[in-house]
Amino acid sequence: MPSLGLFLSQLFNGLALGALLALVASGLTIIFGTLGFVNFAHGALFAFGAYAGYLTYQASGSFVLALVVGAAATGVLGLLLEWGLIRRYYSRPPEDQILVTFGIGIVIVESLRATFGGLTLNVPQPSWGNGILNLHYFFYPVYRLQVLGIAALALFALYLLIYWTRIGLIVRAGIEDPLMVRMLGIRVPRILTLVFGIGALAAGFAGVVDSPIVSVAPDVGSRVLVESFVVVVIGGLGSFPGAIIGGLIAGEILSLTSMINPAYSDVALYAAMALVLFLLPRGLLGTEGRI
Amino acid sequence: MTRGTGGRALIPEGIMMVVLLALPWLAPLLHVTADVLARSLIWGLFGLGFDILFGFTGLLSFGQAAFYGTGGFVAAWLLTSQTVNSVALALLLGTAAAAVYGLIVGYISLRRVGIYFAMITLAFGEMSFFLENSPLSALTGGENGLPGVPPPGVELFGHSYTVASGWPMYALIAAIFFVGYVIARRIIRSPYGMVLRAIRTNPRRTPAVGHDVQRYKLSAFVLAAVYAGLAGGLLGLFQGYMPPDAFYLDTSGQLVLSTVIGGRGTLIGPLIGAFIWIDLRDALQQFPALGATWKLLFGAIFVLIVTLFRRGIAGEIGALLERRRRARASLRAPAATGQRLAPPAATRERVRAARPGPAILEVQNVAKRYGAFTAVADISLEVREGELLAIIGPNGAGKSTLLNVLAGDLEPSAGRIVFRGSDITREGVIEVCHRGISKTYQINQLFPDFTVCENVEIAVLAHTRGRFRADCFRSLHADRSRRAKAEQILDKVGLLPFADHPTAEMSYGEKRRLEIAIALANDPKLLFMDEPLAGMSPVERAEAVQLIGALATERTVVLVEHDMDAVFRLADRIVVMQNGVLLAEGTPEQIQNNADVQQAYLGGVEEHEPA
Amino acid sequence: MSLLEARGVNSYYADSHVLFDVDFDVERNEVVALLGRNGAGKTTMLKSIMGVLQPRSGSIAFEGEAIHGLDPQEIAQRSIQLVPEERRIFSGLSVEENLKLAALTAPKPLELGWIYEVFPRLRERRRSRGGNLSGGEQQMLAVARALIRDPKLLMLDEPFEGLAPVIVRDLSRVIRELVRAERTIVIVEQNVRAALQFAHRVYVLNNGHVVFHGTPQELMHDAELTSAYLGAAV
Repeated sequence: MPSLGLFLSQLFNGLALGALLALVASGLTIIFGTLGFVNFAHGALFAFGAYAGYLTYQASGSFVLALVVGAAATGVLGLLLEWGLIRRYYSRPPEDQILVTFGIGIVIVESLRATFGGLTLNVPQPSWGNGILNLHYFFYPVYRLQVLGIAALALFALYLLIYWTRIGLIVRAGIEDPLMVRMLGIRVPRILTLVFGIGALAAGFAGVVDSPIVSVAPDVGSRVLVESFVVVVIGGLGSFPGAIIGGLIAGEILSLTSMINPAYSDVALYAAMALVLFLLPRGLLGTEGRI
Repeated sequence: MTRGTGGRALIPEGIMMVVLLALPWLAPLLHVTADVLARSLIWGLFGLGFDILFGFTGLLSFGQAAFYGTGGFVAAWLLTSQTVNSVALALLLGTAAAAVYGLIVGYISLRRVGIYFAMITLAFGEMSFFLENSPLSALTGGENGLPGVPPPGVELFGHSYTVASGWPMYALIAAIFFVGYVIARRIIRSPYGMVLRAIRTNPRRTPAVGHDVQRYKLSAFVLAAVYAGLAGGLLGLFQGYMPPDAFYLDTSGQLVLSTVIGGRGTLIGPLIGAFIWIDLRDALQQFPALGATWKLLFGAIFVLIVTLFRRGIAGEIGALLERRRRARASLRAPAATGQRLAPPAATRERVRAARPGPAILEVQNVAKRYGAFTAVADISLEVREGELLAIIGPNGAGKSTLLNVLAGDLEPSAGRIVFRGSDITREGVIEVCHRGISKTYQINQLFPDFTVCENVEIAVLAHTRGRFRADCFRSLHADRSRRAKAEQILDKVGLLPFADHPTAEMSYGEKRRLEIAIALANDPKLLFMDEPLAGMSPVERAEAVQLIGALATERTVVLVEHDMDAVFRLADRIVVMQNGVLLAEGTPEQIQNNADVQQAYLGGVEEHEPA
Repeated sequence: MSLLEARGVNSYYADSHVLFDVDFDVERNEVVALLGRNGAGKTTMLKSIMGVLQPRSGSIAFEGEAIHGLDPQEIAQRSIQLVPEERRIFSGLSVEENLKLAALTAPKPLELGWIYEVFPRLRERRRSRGGNLSGGEQQMLAVARALIRDPKLLMLDEPFEGLAPVIVRDLSRVIRELVRAERTIVIVEQNVRAALQFAHRVYVLNNGHVVFHGTPQELMHDAELTSAYLGAAV
């Protein structure tokens, strides 16, 4: 029987992991809701952000700057990709859209590998993240708690963007009925580019935040890609609240099962996905609660 | 690819055999080793099954590594643990294990389609990797894989020969690949294969003509798993070692890339694509600085091909050859719009006072609600055998919704539907089709990549073979009656001269007639028609009315229409709907003089002020 | 010069030829009714003007400038608005958000307060989700949303469809207001009587052809025509 301390520690780990997954999955789900396809390059964007953050940190020594630049650089990459290539695919069948983003993902990851090599690079924790907290029942690394806080803040910012700004208004309407949005005089293609950029930015930001924990390597993204897919299948594609709930559930599943048997924690996650598929094919918040 | 009978049809197999036999001599000229060729063929075998699944059935799976790895590790473990001594048996068991695993994963994954399916297969692929890596590592060797896989041995004339690496191994793998290729070609050119292609082309219409799409998809998925499992087993034999990267996401991804670059839907696409990247990798290894960049290059080529040459290398070449062939055979439609053939005038004057037959369809208190919105409120009516019943009403009346409920496309929220004494309320389109009910769609639901005759043949296949038949080894050309039946139906709608024309070349009116022809394939006793005259010019309308009248002499017809002239000419009885309820019912004369109906169409406002 | 001038318009849905050489004019400050049975092509005409469908041949000019071939957002920016048959309000957005969205790119949108005066029901429900409104309220919102952009040309596609008589009355009142304010309106309706109360001029379509063009009085006197193309004598 795991001790209360271990349990609480894992619970918090799950929250931190879950918040990060939720952030990545939110980007994925917003892209799907607005642009109508699943971005198979999402994991690669996560990795790109991690590297951009790494470079910035090397150059400046400031983790905060690394966060900003890493996220922004990934966002810009997203804008360029949508504008340059992906938008040609909107009238193509969904399989082709998957294929092209898959290909883009490979090109990004392999470019990173060619530029930086395949070895893992270290990003140290920010100095304000050092230390261990004594939380009565257990000790907990400060940075992990901060990750939870940062990710939650980022999610909140995303929420504000979607529900309280004009852009968010257009995005929400555009998810429902892009033609009607056009009939109201709004240029939709620009919005689509922006949405992809925002989704990419979220993934890149998560990449930088996570880098002190998992280090930086070209393949960090592939795991995140699959896990975020599981999250959106559980939470429901196209639903922002679903991505958050799905993320937290996935984070806790991974964390708590590793307490029992680490070898099975990934398998448990996929089993949960299979279960949701059987009982609720649309995911938890699939049909309603669409962003 | 499916054209031609007899010898001509076996040209691809012949070419393949010649190439495989010639390669050992050509290899030095091409600067390739036996190793590269053998590896490519293993991937080619892996890809045969994947192409059946993706290229032909349209199911994009990112998790095929799960079955490649399963087949490989089961076979390797059986041999290394000496549980089984015969390589052939080990391969067989490995393949069987992969098939069973494929059945389970397929069953779960196929509950969804399109993007979801791709994501779910990706997740299962990864899950399999994790299973191999940790929980089962005692059996699989975890990160290290299983070394010590013995080379295959052959018993010949009392001596045992082991298959050495190099050209002998190539020969073994090439032989197995060739058999796999012949089988795959057979599958594609069978009735079963035609249904798979129909599913990719129009997944909505295929079940509507009576095919159990889920079973076809699942069997195709298992087929892909079988090919993957066999290829995995061969990999272990080839290397003398079973590597854990067989389960990597990378492996599934490479398969997808190879197939798309080489050409989806060609069967040899995966082989070509694999050959390219294996060769590329080997070539670039020569330059230490460029060593790892082959993946980047391959990925970039992939993006290029998906964007510009969607069909892939073999596919584009094949399309080019096909265009040349067509031009030469001069099958150009003789001004498809100009030469219009009207349907044969087998129309008897519709006798209004037709003897009403017994009720063939009873609709009892049927309703259809979408949350708070009620499309069909509470409809009860009877359709009598042999009559032509028209359902009319203003926009938003619920006519099409009712039609779709009756035809099995939608499930009613309440009520009962009884067809010839049997309750069909909960039955879907597949069962309903086999009972002898068909529907034509308001917007054409054709099979665009097929010829006119093939469109009808796809439907006939369900009528003669039932919901599902795994006749993957039968030849399409073995059954002449199918084509004959299809031609008969085309004749009825006046499209027989265009039987071998591509559907895309038909005019709108001709496509509408093909739409009807498809629905006639199951000899329906009851035919539903959803706005059959929609979008037709006056000339097309007149012909269509004639055709519908002719069809109605042989069966019961229920149609939804807005063209009042046509309705009054054709209908024995008319039912008027408004806002989801039945407003009136009667003969055309009765309806024309019905005040409520006029009110419904013209509307009214209480105050009448001048503007 | 007419405000809107369409000449020889031929429109298709994929292969299906729906409009055959249609000529259609709208003058400033007038109300034109476009009548005909289902499938006659009325909605197709409005969609062709709005750029949702591109005519294959013919021309459409607005204020003297050719607009056929333009995208819907460009047409909207030229101050033409269409209230579609299905209404298409955004069910995930509130009433007020629907209106604010519409006003975003309008050069001189009307005041929200004024809109609420014309549609008091909408003020009551301003925070409600679009999906929670009744059919009548949704129709009001759809019209209000088009109106807030202060369009030079307002097109209504079957505004009275599926509405209860009391709502039809309310909506008629609103439209009468707009007519009195001398807005230019095209109204497509199956409910002939409701449309004729506002119309200055009438077109009747049948199977994609214009079969009548004149005043409401002329239409009402032609019983044969109305019964043939509209269902019965008006």
